[in-house]
Amino acid sequence: MNPLLRRLRSDLFATPADGALSLGLIALITAVAVGLLQWATQRAQWAVIQANSTLFAVGRYPGDQQWRLWLLTALLTAVTGVTWGLLRCHPRADRDGTLWPRNDRLVLGLLVVVVLWLPGALQLTPALQIRWSLLAALLAASRWLAGRFGSKLSRPMLRLFPLVWPLIYLIGMVLISGGLGLMPVSPSQWGGLLLTLLTASFAILLCFPMGVLLALGRRSDLPLLRWISVIYIEFIRGAPLITLLFLGQNILGFLLPGGFAPDRIWRAAWVLTFFAAAYLAEAVRSGLASVPKGQMEAARSLGLSYPQTLVRVVLPQALRVALPAMVGQFISLLQDTTLLSLIGLLELLGVARTVMANPAFLGHSAEVYLTLALLFWSCCAALGLGSRALEKRLDPQTLSRSSSQP
Amino acid sequence: MTSSPTHLMIEARGVQKWYPNGYHALRGVDLSVHRGEVVVVMGPSGSGKSTFIRTFNALEDFQEGSIRIDGINLGNDLRQIDAIRREVGMVFQQFNLFPHLTVLDNLVLAPTLVRGRSRTEVQAQALSLLDRVGIKEQAQKFPGQLSGGQQQRVAIARALCMEPRILLFDEPTSALDPEMVREVLDVMRQLAQEDITMVVVTHEVKFAEQVAHRVVLMAEGNVVEEAPPAQFFKNPKHERTRRFLDQIL
Ligand SMILES: Nc1ncnc2c1ncn2[C@@H]1O[C@H](COP(=O)(O)OP(=O)(O)O)[C@@H](O)[C@H]1O
Ligand SMILES: [Mg+2]
Repeated sequence: MNPLLRRLRSDLFATPADGALSLGLIALITAVAVGLLQWATQRAQWAVIQANSTLFAVGRYPGDQQWRLWLLTALLTAVTGVTWGLLRCHPRADRDGTLWPRNDRLVLGLLVVVVLWLPGALQLTPALQIRWSLLAALLAASRWLAGRFGSKLSRPMLRLFPLVWPLIYLIGMVLISGGLGLMPVSPSQWGGLLLTLLTASFAILLCFPMGVLLALGRRSDLPLLRWISVIYIEFIRGAPLITLLFLGQNILGFLLPGGFAPDRIWRAAWVLTFFAAAYLAEAVRSGLASVPKGQMEAARSLGLSYPQTLVRVVLPQALRVALPAMVGQFISLLQDTTLLSLIGLLELLGVARTVMANPAFLGHSAEVYLTLALLFWSCCAALGLGSRALEKRLDPQTLSRSSSQP
Repeated sequence: MTSSPTHLMIEARGVQKWYPNGYHALRGVDLSVHRGEVVVVMGPSGSGKSTFIRTFNALEDFQEGSIRIDGINLGNDLRQIDAIRREVGMVFQQFNLFPHLTVLDNLVLAPTLVRGRSRTEVQAQALSLLDRVGIKEQAQKFPGQLSGGQQQRVAIARALCMEPRILLFDEPTSALDPEMVREVLDVMRQLAQEDITMVVVTHEVKFAEQVAHRVVLMAEGNVVEEAPPAQFFKNPKHERTRRFLDQIL
């Protein structure tokens, strides 16, 4: 029998009961899929998305300055491609990797198809369609180039490469907000996906070191440090984010001296950061608990200092264990940014609500919410994919398993 | 530092330790170990063997008495503790290799970080050490991919890579399958020929007979008997030693 058929049979129709359940589920999935497809192609009116695509993407960011965001997107795309390629052409010491594993070809292919199809389907202007196609080409090209020539990079260069990411973040901040000769664009004009991603990435980047420090503080031998960490973590975890957001709008402006009081958007971003740090600390703590005591003892008996032991021995193992839980936190953080709409910020949900309030688009909230859901889903899927790849790369156990197979 | 044969590498006087829960684990232990000597420590489980040798590199603290390592007093001065840890290597029952690093990087980590030596230089030394313990081919693997015996040999090589003057072993073969005990003991036998000072907690009688200069019996947090192996196993002075030997022989 054909192996595919045999697999189908053993997976779906092993016993009569399995078979009945499988058939029922297949019927259900088909019905839902057909219904959705019919709705999306016949009933739904996508004009609400087409007419407001710029608003969803960047809010009221001035049109003549939007080239800066395109430049930033291009930079991010290129760095993503290069990172991806480098990861593949420098497999871990004990593994000979293929340059183009099947999953990579699949993901890249899917991305290219979506980027080529979607802007057309949304009837974006030809200029925009071309830009999206160029971005897809840039991703593929940088991925290919890094995979092809990355092996020529020296070891120190490779070690420094991850620093490109914080650098890009700084460049991105300048590009978005202006300064250094660029026209300033005030935060009140940022919106949509731009604002969502900006606040989320800001909080993710900063809550990570904070969470690690809090987790270490909670396990510290110094009672004062321990108690401060515990109280902070438990207080934050006990309060709903929305109350903290309102609190932050009032308190941060009051606590900080006049000139330093950050804009409303930054206040909210800081509250998100403080909030996420407490949850992250708990994820890191479970990771720390999973590292056997013998690891610390072995490192100390070799003469490593306490900080060296933490950075080189304990944290790499703890963070590897905590990674799935941490990414889970990052994903909820991304979704929590929707609460910013309740304090009047025009991130994705805020934009959506203003659009739906427009009488011209009355009665089309389903289209808007579906688009939002898909946008959030793709961001989370990207996070999840990245984390799974990282997890696999960092796990010595998967290696021994894969190497024991012929 | 002198290198006369009587030079004391470890000098423990009246060491007493209470664990935080109040348990009196060491009750005034005395022990002297000379340079290049191999001392085997035996004794029933729970008698304080691990606790005692772990005080030598400050993995455990103690409340009374004194310990001098190569002439340096093991007090509360953190810098002295760091200095002593550099000179005292330890091999654990559970190997405690760093699972996220390759075998080679397990060896290279400490000498580069702690002694500030160049990676290329340490790498060469590490490879020759791995060759000596018979696992040079596994240098690029991860510890999880090795057998228990191989892992323990890596752990010994890792300790040696710091070029310690004293090497402590805490039941290095107790977690191993029987067929792997030999390969580890063989490496330790080789080491004993050199001028490194070794304190070995083990129940391997044959190893003690062949290799040890002195065998020590600990019981109830104290050293009960100290004697050359021939006398220790054939003609012990103390009743407690006789009872212990009856159980393990
Ligand atoms: N962290 C600890 N807290 C309290 N008691 C301990 C601790 N570690 C060991 N002990 C006790 O100290 C005694 C000596 O332990 P140990 O030195 O490990 O013995 P050995 O290595 O000879 O088997 C045992 O009775 C043990 O239960
Ligand atoms: Mg023990």
